Amino acid sequence: MATMPASASDLLKSFKLKTKQQELLIRVSILCLVYILAFITRLFSVLRYESMIHEFDPYFNYRTTLYLTENGFYDFWNWFDYESWYPLGRIVGGTLYPGLMVTAVLIYRILRFLRFAVHIREVCVLTAPFFASNTTLVAYFFGKEIWDSGAGLVAAILIAICPGYISRSVAGSYDNEGVAIFALLFTFYVFVKAVNTGSLAWSLASAFGYFYMVSAWGGYIRFVGFQHVQSGEHMAAMGVFFLMQVFYFLDWVKHMLSDTKLFQAFLRITVTCAVAVGGIALGLGMVSGYISPWTGRFYSLLDPTYAKDHIPIIASVSEHQPTAWSSFMFDFHILLFLFPAGLYFCFKRLSDATIFIVMYGLTSMYFAGVMVRLILVATPAVCLISAIAVSATVKNLTVLLRSKNKVVQTGSTKGSGGSKSSSKALLDQSQPFQKNGAIALLFGAFYLLSRYATHCTWVTSEAYSSPSIVLAARGAHGNRVIFDDYREAYFWLRQNTPQDAKVMSWWDYGYQITAMGNRTVIVDNNTWNNTHIATVGRAMSSYEDEAIEIIRSLDVDYVLVVFGGVTGYSSDDINKFLWMVRIGGGVFPVIKEPDYLVNGEYRVDKGAAPKMLNCLMYKLCYYRFGEMLTEYGKPPGYDRARGVEIGNKDVKLEHLEEAFTTSNWIVRIYRVKPPNNRWWLNRYKFG
Amino acid sequence: MADHFFTFSIITLSLFVVASSGGLESELVADLLTLQAESKSGVIHLDDRTVSKFLTSPRTPRPYSFLIFFDAANFHDKPELRLRELRREFEIVASSFITNHNSSNTKLFFGDIEFRESQSSFQLFGVNSLPHVRLVGPTAKSLKDDSDVMDQGDFSRLAESMAEFVQYRTKLTVGPIHRPPALSKMQLGLITALLLLCLPLVAKRIFAGETLLHDPKIWLSGAVFVYFFSVSGAMHNIIRKMPMFLVDRNDPNKLVFFYQGSGMQLGAEGFAVGFLYTVVGLLLAFVTHVLVYVKDATAKRLAMLFTLLVSFWAVKKVILLDNWKTGYGIHGFWPSSWN
Repeated sequence: MATMPASASDLLKSFKLKTKQQELLIRVSILCLVYILAFITRLFSVLRYESMIHEFDPYFNYRTTLYLTENGFYDFWNWFDYESWYPLGRIVGGTLYPGLMVTAVLIYRILRFLRFAVHIREVCVLTAPFFASNTTLVAYFFGKEIWDSGAGLVAAILIAICPGYISRSVAGSYDNEGVAIFALLFTFYVFVKAVNTGSLAWSLASAFGYFYMVSAWGGYIRFVGFQHVQSGEHMAAMGVFFLMQVFYFLDWVKHMLSDTKLFQAFLRITVTCAVAVGGIALGLGMVSGYISPWTGRFYSLLDPTYAKDHIPIIASVSEHQPTAWSSFMFDFHILLFLFPAGLYFCFKRLSDATIFIVMYGLTSMYFAGVMVRLILVATPAVCLISAIAVSATVKNLTVLLRSKNKVVQTGSTKGSGGSKSSSKALLDQSQPFQKNGAIALLFGAFYLLSRYATHCTWVTSEAYSSPSIVLAARGAHGNRVIFDDYREAYFWLRQNTPQDAKVMSWWDYGYQITAMGNRTVIVDNNTWNNTHIATVGRAMSSYEDEAIEIIRSLDVDYVLVVFGGVTGYSSDDINKFLWMVRIGGGVFPVIKEPDYLVNGEYRVDKGAAPKMLNCLMYKLCYYRFGEMLTEYGKPPGYDRARGVEIGNKDVKLEHLEEAFTTSNWIVRIYRVKPPNNRWWLNRYKFG
Repeated sequence: MADHFFTFSIITLSLFVVASSGGLESELVADLLTLQAESKSGVIHLDDRTVSKFLTSPRTPRPYSFLIFFDAANFHDKPELRLRELRREFEIVASSFITNHNSSNTKLFFGDIEFRESQSSFQLFGVNSLPHVRLVGPTAKSLKDDSDVMDQGDFSRLAESMAEFVQYRTKLTVGPIHRPPALSKMQLGLITALLLLCLPLVAKRIFAGETLLHDPKIWLSGAVFVYFFSVSGAMHNIIRKMPMFLVDRNDPNKLVFFYQGSGMQLGAEGFAVGFLYTVVGLLLAFVTHVLVYVKDATAKRLAMLFTLLVSFWAVKKVILLDNWKTGYGIHGFWPSSWN
């Protein structure tokens, strides 16, 4: 099994180690290296930028973790957050998955206990890489369980640098997934182990692993209540659980009763009764409304086109888009080619474990095709199955190389690997080029694997390590330009606005404003109340005098918009605007998408729809932009993100005034003017 | 019913010597109802003569609105216009409207005009691009300027959004859309009968344990199919309703099969690449598990060589395509002195 080069084995022999011990030593050192590799490859973001929290959701997680460290678990559990979803507020303790925060705080406490004076932010930043390292270990053991230790090692290496996993676990990406993928793989591993060994200890571990996973990634902890018996989505699982009980009960009765005839009669009665009771319970539950019907989210799993037509708030998120082939290539690279081979190998050696991994791989693969973000869930399965293909192939080839012409079988004795190598070795005499061929193939395999490593490193460094709160672009001379406008704006809010100011923005920026700006927001990334979000969408897409009514009714003091026209930053509010219209229009039919389009085309230049040119979002983004020269040789008011000259250069604001615009104009903040004193004088001139 | 209206109008005519406009109008409505009843879907087929009879000649305000679908039979085979599909949806809206109002609503009629036979009507409406749906309100004097055009956005969700357009513009409710069931009752009955006939046979097989479901090969091909389905982005094509290929804008004779830009793909493109993905893995499996049992050494070598070449070509092709599509130049981070 040990496949080391000769010089290394000589060296090891001088330590007087037996072959078994040598193999163990090599295996452990490979695992250690993989463990370290998985950690350091995720540090690109820290090197490129700085140690900070990324993106949107992690800011909320960071804020809650901070709260947990400062106030303790009980306050955390009962926390009512009045700083978000104004004026509704949010019961945080009951609506989040505490696994991640508790884990981070635990690590923090341990480090503190060991007298490492770290800040909780550093712990949060490095939680995801740390768990990714742990995942490689679990992948090793899982691979060992379903195939052999070689496959386990390959799986650990593959998963350590697989871009599909790195995308959600770089340093700073402090999100549930970082911990949850570890928990998921661990649970699956322990489950398979329990099935294989039949040991009660492993099944108990599996139950705890499952508990940890659901506490980190949404599930049935105390606060979720009785969802698992009440919601229609879980009925199938409940049914299987119920059947299992009946099956084992029957088994037990069969064991107790020696008479077969008696048992047959008993069987008939029990099965009929069980089915009838189950059916009646289900029917009663449905009719009485105790069991809720299926929710939209579940429909969108069964019929993936459902969300696009019916739930714009789900369809609007970029992670929820269906996956094109290039995304698979980007995230899996050669694993994609090896996956069918791995499937074939698994089918050639069917066991409970391989069936499990095939099922996991295929279901997650299917759903990865529906939504981009689910590639993450498919990654461990793809790595494991591809690892089986790589390991089995490489092992066969090396066995061939090591075998002397007369030796029929060496090393591997189990499974398809063994039978295959023997058949190849038998034919050895007739094929003189076989060894050379094997060497060539081995080189080919290593070439492919090295391409994989190159690809993964490049993707990690260039695509997945950007914090998206600090933007980077290439300057005219190839140098790196950093736009730190978001933090500039949030710190301005923190320093220059009253403590109780309420900020209205699109929901994407809610978590960041509360976490960094420490100000109350109207809506945030926890999109639990569609109507509230639609209200904001409606305000943004109305004319200013209509919008001001909504703004006043929500007690808003500041309005924040994100604008990329100066820098060419494309994911700004103007590009997200159609979703605001759609979501707003979904609740308030006065907002109609066609009013903002011209012949089905979305435009901001002179040919844009009149409603578009005068709505609040357009005015706030392009206020005084018409005076600005953005690019040499272009007229003033040239929008670099959309590549057009804007259509309304003379924007006048009546109820709002510009309060702050960041250095690159990416974030613009407007103050809501107080109602005019004696406003009726303007309206009735002689009153 | 038409007769009833007819007699009624004749009586009116005979009673009052001066033809009242009300009588004329009800006559038109009666004609329309007859035409509507004659048509299978309730969409009235209009031509130059009937357009002038029902739309241009009567004085405004007319007692009815007209929603008109502009059709062209010679463009039916152009998939990007989606004329057939939109026409079918239009018919569904029409028949749903008529059934929901028990054929008694005379405020709105649905019509279609064919390009070949009524070119002057197309000019009258100023229609020069398809698909085109227009609502002629009761007060519209000039058919070209006073009527409402249905936007592209109103086609987007097919019958449902067309119905919304009608509701919004005419203030008439369309009500629930009745789509014809995918299978007619006859077919459904036939299928049930067949299933019932097969049931004993299947049951026997299941108890004997020799169904297709007990064959791992079937499961394997199913698994590979699921893999192929998801990595080829077929779900993306279904959700986004992507066409198989596009026609080049600059050169209509050229077809575009590959779309540049990540996050988007065309149908044929996805299947081609999905096939390349699948073939390499399957060849590897074939070589390691099937080819080794072949006795003939030359055949084995040739097959091996073929496999190697094909796999090499496929991997190279996919990586090239990926780099071209996403625009990323992937390179290693070697020490700069090595270059």
